[in-house]
Amino acid sequence: MKQPWAWVGWLVATLVILSITRNPLYLLLVLLCVVIVGISVQQSSPGFTRPFSLWKLATWIILLATIFNALTSHFGTTVMFTIPGKLPLISGRITLEAIVYGATNGLVLTGMLASFAVLNIALPVRDMIGLIPRAFFPLAVVSSIAVTYLPTTMRQFRQIREAQAIRGHQMRTLRDWLPLWMPLLVGGLEHAMQLAEAMTARGFASPSMPSKGATLYPRLAMILGLLLLAGGWILQLGDSETAGLILLLVGAAFVLGGLWSVGRKSHRTSYHRQDWTWKDGLGLGIALAVLLLCTLSVPMLGKETLFYDPYPSITLPAFNPFLGAVLLGLVAPSLMTGRLRDQETTGNEAVHPAGS
Amino acid sequence: MSEETSKNMKSSAFSLAIYLTAFLSGLLVLLYPFFLPAISPQTGFASMRQGQMPVMMTVLLGICLLVLLFESQGTVLNTKLIALLGILVAINSALRFIETAIPGPGGFSPIFFLIILVGYLFGGRVGFLMGALTLAVSALVTGGVGPWLPAQMFTAGWVGMTAPILKPLARVASSTLQRKKPLNDNVEIVLLALFGLAWGFIYGAIMNLWQWPFIVGPQNQSYVSGMGLVSTLQHYLAFYMVTSLVWDIVAAAGNVLLILALGKPALRALRRFHQRFGFRYETGLSVASRSHERGITE
Repeated sequence: MKQPWAWVGWLVATLVILSITRNPLYLLLVLLCVVIVGISVQQSSPGFTRPFSLWKLATWIILLATIFNALTSHFGTTVMFTIPGKLPLISGRITLEAIVYGATNGLVLTGMLASFAVLNIALPVRDMIGLIPRAFFPLAVVSSIAVTYLPTTMRQFRQIREAQAIRGHQMRTLRDWLPLWMPLLVGGLEHAMQLAEAMTARGFASPSMPSKGATLYPRLAMILGLLLLAGGWILQLGDSETAGLILLLVGAAFVLGGLWSVGRKSHRTSYHRQDWTWKDGLGLGIALAVLLLCTLSVPMLGKETLFYDPYPSITLPAFNPFLGAVLLGLVAPSLMTGRLRDQETTGNEAVHPAGS
Repeated sequence: MSEETSKNMKSSAFSLAIYLTAFLSGLLVLLYPFFLPAISPQTGFASMRQGQMPVMMTVLLGICLLVLLFESQGTVLNTKLIALLGILVAINSALRFIETAIPGPGGFSPIFFLIILVGYLFGGRVGFLMGALTLAVSALVTGGVGPWLPAQMFTAGWVGMTAPILKPLARVASSTLQRKKPLNDNVEIVLLALFGLAWGFIYGAIMNLWQWPFIVGPQNQSYVSGMGLVSTLQHYLAFYMVTSLVWDIVAAAGNVLLILALGKPALRALRRFHQRFGFRYETGLSVASRSHERGITE
């Protein structure tokens, strides 16, 4: 599975499921799927190194969330022990319910972090920039420049630091950063000037870019959409949940429709377009199916088992094997990964306005 | 009035309407715990739907952010600003990269310094883009993409967008104090430092709102459905004092120190380049035809 949109579909399905369930059994199952996909993606991306260890981070998150909740939330009936004295926040009963709730929160956070980490390994930065919608082509170019110039900035910073160190510069106070910071900033600005000249010389930002006057109707749709979203949000918080949700959907459609309408006017070219394969289609289809089955009320699946609250007295979480089987669908990308990082050298994408 | 002028006026009115509606909608999403009692006195809100709220908040904030980004990008439809913004975002993302590798104390982050200066000098829209894109690009390169990103981009964008409000203040302060130029610079830096101080706390307070309703904690700090506005504010204040105040004091102090230590020369350099970037490209044909119109022969 290499198509960025298929990965986005998988990510959305995973995040929504992690958000709607507090049942630790289902959470563990989802986390297991994410870990399996992560391992398979890692194996398909030789040479990719993560900036931090996810295992260590997960341990810390679950541990901290558990301790924090146990120490600060003294609800629940199953008392494990009591912290004596009058320490603010901490003193009081430590309950099993608070420990389980904290650990559950930690599992949710870990699952979210892990699924984003998988996406970060699976998709090169250039593919992620390629996901920016057409309506945002100037921002896609800005992001592209920033990502391309970042390693140069880091290299420049090292060179400036070495040059200043040779001159005997020492870092004692905050003002000692000035001889490092100013050359970095001024050098960057000079580079921006050269880049702007080069872009203009190559015909970028030609008069054929859509002007603001040409986008009045889409912008009107966006204003309407935002008003509907605000109204829908207030309604669904109140007693009219269904009406609110409908307004929210209509509002979102207005905003996204406006953006789509503007985006149609900008032309995008790719050196190597990432075509859809049957694996991408299948991966996306499975992710969407899992998402729908978990969010809609399907009789056999027992959606109510997704909800679990250990308070006030802890009980064993319910588990529906059919729903468990559905959740296992999130492991599908691990069966469809090829050599993902091969595409990094071919995924260069240029975004430019029509006619330029 | 020419058709072009009328179109521009209409476009500016649309712009203002979009900024206001997107900003207010974003605030409605973030501040819902405070006005919920007024629209829904129910107490069973914290059950099944509490799991859906973070997703809904992320999606709605994301949509507001998309609209704000779309409207702001109208200012960077020229190569100079695209190049400038790209490079400045890269520099700021490098600072965040260094911060991720060597974490500073508490909530200290070096990125707001440049966001504030750029917003102050280049205007609110460029400031908004600088804040939002810094968070987005640095999240891409440090693997920090997550459900918190729209809220971070939204808030950091507003740091840059609100910076130009200091300009009239700086003018008034300078004229009131009848200062000469070097001292005017000091007034400017002090104002920017105070602005950084304020945003150090506001940024933390807004980011807390994203998660506070879903955290179970001591009874006097947690969000409880059905509470009145004053009680909700009291609970949030207690939560903020206990969990975030020290963290945000470090963040605010970091902003102040960075602006006081590095702000003046950075502002001077940015101002010089702001003038250098003020030129306009014109094609040879149009220059020749204008010269011809003015009767200049070369």
